[in-house]
Amino acid sequence: MGTISSAFSIITGALNADQGGLSIIAGNVANANTPGYSRETPNWVENSPIVINGHTYGAGVTETGATAVRDRVLEQRLDQQQQLASSSGTRLAALNTLQALFTPDSGSASATAGDIGNDITSFFNSFASLEANPGDNALRQQVLSTASTLAGDISNAASSVNMQRSALDQEAAGVATQVNALTASIAKLNLQIQSFSPTGDAGSLEDQRQQDLSQLSQLIGINQVTTENNGLTITTTSGQTLVSEGESNVLTTGKVNGVTDFFVGGTDVTAQTESGGGSLGGYLTARDQDIPTVLGALDQMAFGISTEVNAQNAKGIDLNGNAGAAIFVQPQQAAGAAETMSVAMTDPSQIAAAAAGAGSGDNSNATAMADLATSGDPPILNGLVLPGGLALAAGQTLLGGLTPSGYYSGFVTTLGSTVSQVQTENTAQNASVVQLQTQNNALSQVNLNDEASAMTTLERSYQAASQVFSMINTLMAAALNLGEQSTVA
Amino acid sequence: MRVDPSYTTNLVGALDQAQLNSQQLSSELSSGVRVTSLSSDPLAAGENVLLLNQMLQDDSFTQSSSLVSGQLQVADSALGQVVGQLTQAVSLATSANNGTMNASDRQSIANQIAGIRAEVLALANSSYQGQYIFAGSINSSAPFTLSATTPATVTYSGDQNVNYLKTPNGQRIQLNVPGSQIFSGAGANNVFAALNSLVADYSTSATDTAQAVSDTTALGSALNFVSQQRVSIDNSLTQITAASNAVSSEQTQLTAAQTSLMQADVAKVATQLSLSETQQTALEDVIAQIGSGSLFDKLH
Repeated sequence: MGTISSAFSIITGALNADQGGLSIIAGNVANANTPGYSRETPNWVENSPIVINGHTYGAGVTETGATAVRDRVLEQRLDQQQQLASSSGTRLAALNTLQALFTPDSGSASATAGDIGNDITSFFNSFASLEANPGDNALRQQVLSTASTLAGDISNAASSVNMQRSALDQEAAGVATQVNALTASIAKLNLQIQSFSPTGDAGSLEDQRQQDLSQLSQLIGINQVTTENNGLTITTTSGQTLVSEGESNVLTTGKVNGVTDFFVGGTDVTAQTESGGGSLGGYLTARDQDIPTVLGALDQMAFGISTEVNAQNAKGIDLNGNAGAAIFVQPQQAAGAAETMSVAMTDPSQIAAAAAGAGSGDNSNATAMADLATSGDPPILNGLVLPGGLALAAGQTLLGGLTPSGYYSGFVTTLGSTVSQVQTENTAQNASVVQLQTQNNALSQVNLNDEASAMTTLERSYQAASQVFSMINTLMAAALNLGEQSTVA
Repeated sequence: MRVDPSYTTNLVGALDQAQLNSQQLSSELSSGVRVTSLSSDPLAAGENVLLLNQMLQDDSFTQSSSLVSGQLQVADSALGQVVGQLTQAVSLATSANNGTMNASDRQSIANQIAGIRAEVLALANSSYQGQYIFAGSINSSAPFTLSATTPATVTYSGDQNVNYLKTPNGQRIQLNVPGSQIFSGAGANNVFAALNSLVADYSTSATDTAQAVSDTTALGSALNFVSQQRVSIDNSLTQITAASNAVSSEQTQLTAAQTSLMQADVAKVATQLSLSETQQTALEDVIAQIGSGSLFDKLH
């Protein structure tokens, strides 16, 4: 109704609305540096007009609360990109540790301690030196000491790699605990959000849930599905449900074949998690893909060298006239050969430099040993019976048809290329994350300039409303005093 | 259009990156190494392994070849002395065959030749660093022994084995000649047989001149045979020197290749470092200038 008192109530409504708006702006400014906070804007709703006897009367404005400004799609994209970046970042860190074991020797003079490539060369060179004087004890001792250096460096490298694998295993297991804490928190928030604001934006609860989601996606690869009533279902990238409405499924760990595997419910999800993303994906890729590749190559190299050298030595005659004994402890199979590689021979006179049937001054077996370094398919391999009983076919080799140096060279190139590739991926993904983050910040982060101008606007409108109020007050007093002189002013 | 309120954070991120870059370049400059990890240049790292392998092999060969040269030179000088001794023996025998000597003169010739025989025996049993060089591969004991019978015989207890040294490019260089091949050759090339015969010839009171003359001729051809054998040792020496030189020059080239592969290009790194530092300074100035003021500062 168009009366003075209704004008009062309209203006009071306006003052309240402005106050409400100001408190929202105050909230924004207070939370300007809160991580994950999305800025809120007040909702102004015009009150429905009242119609009496055909006349329409306005009813003012109400401030109905705040809406957080966020783009769900953008946030999801950011989460997905963080998954990828986190996965490649974790894998890159593991690979960098791995490749540090094989740093290239940059010096061009004598061998650098610990460089396997140089150790291989020095070992076979000791046989080449023995050719000059097979009976010389110092040269024979040199064979054993270079063998020992080679075996030591290879087994050290292998055990470092194995230690790294256990470390990665532990770290991966640790991630599961964090994942479970986050999924439990998200489930609780789901319930709260669904009960609190099933239809609209849930403000700070939504912010918290988004923070948890962002952290979760950095840990493990997830898919998000929005359900009715503002709910959220989270599954792993391979489809196992982690969170559904208010329920969360725990990611459990268990040892399988000496490594930690991950289970949701009773299903082993390790293989899928590996390719899913997040730092867990990164750890698992490094543990189950990169490390076995490196260990496999080291094992094959240790097995190949030990077997060839032992077999060739057995073919010759040593200083005492006996067939050569094993120089290296003969590994039974390639797996694990690197870590256990060691020298079995202690007496240098047992090195068989002479060929069978010749005197002890002959050097042809020493020459054959030295040739193992330069030939990809040495004659000793033809029909060689391996410890497991398997005989090598013609043309079949233990080091892929490469010389030991060639095999090591190929190994370092492969490892270096893998690391380089992951580095490139990681850089690109990080750049993408930064870009998306910038976009998201531009939309949702509190911009103090905006808040200042909004505050000024509301301030002015409050001022105006209060001016109108005092004017109406004067009118009211005048109406009450109609015609009469009275005390009401 | 909205702007990211926290863009200064991104600038700080860029500043961190620039500092990291400067750090890496400085360490590259100070160590002089370009390829500090496998991922810096995987192909170069692989190539490096092969180059170092080749260089170390060449190094090892250079050392072996000086060892072996010593041994060959000892063999060569021993055979040189043998030739000298045999020449003397031939002239003694020739003088004994001219018919002017009597039995006691011939006996003294026989003794002198026996002395020469002992010398040649000692030379045939030469050793180098404890191993007998004319024994084939059974070289831990003296190969030639003189029996105490009359006429004396010399037995060879070594074998026919020849050792070869393999050069880095696959060439095989002969390291020894078996004693039996030099001193106990077939037919008329048997040095000891000839010497033994001559000693026997001149020790009897009535020398069979025809026999003595044919034995002298045999000694002469045995001497030539020894000279020929000496040639194969000289050949080996030449081959070793040539191989050694070739290996040295190969090593120089490989060293140059490996250095250029792995070492940092100082000029380039210094330029990049200077650019990186400039960028850093510029970023720092920008961040300082932009500050973090907002509209609130301007309102009363």
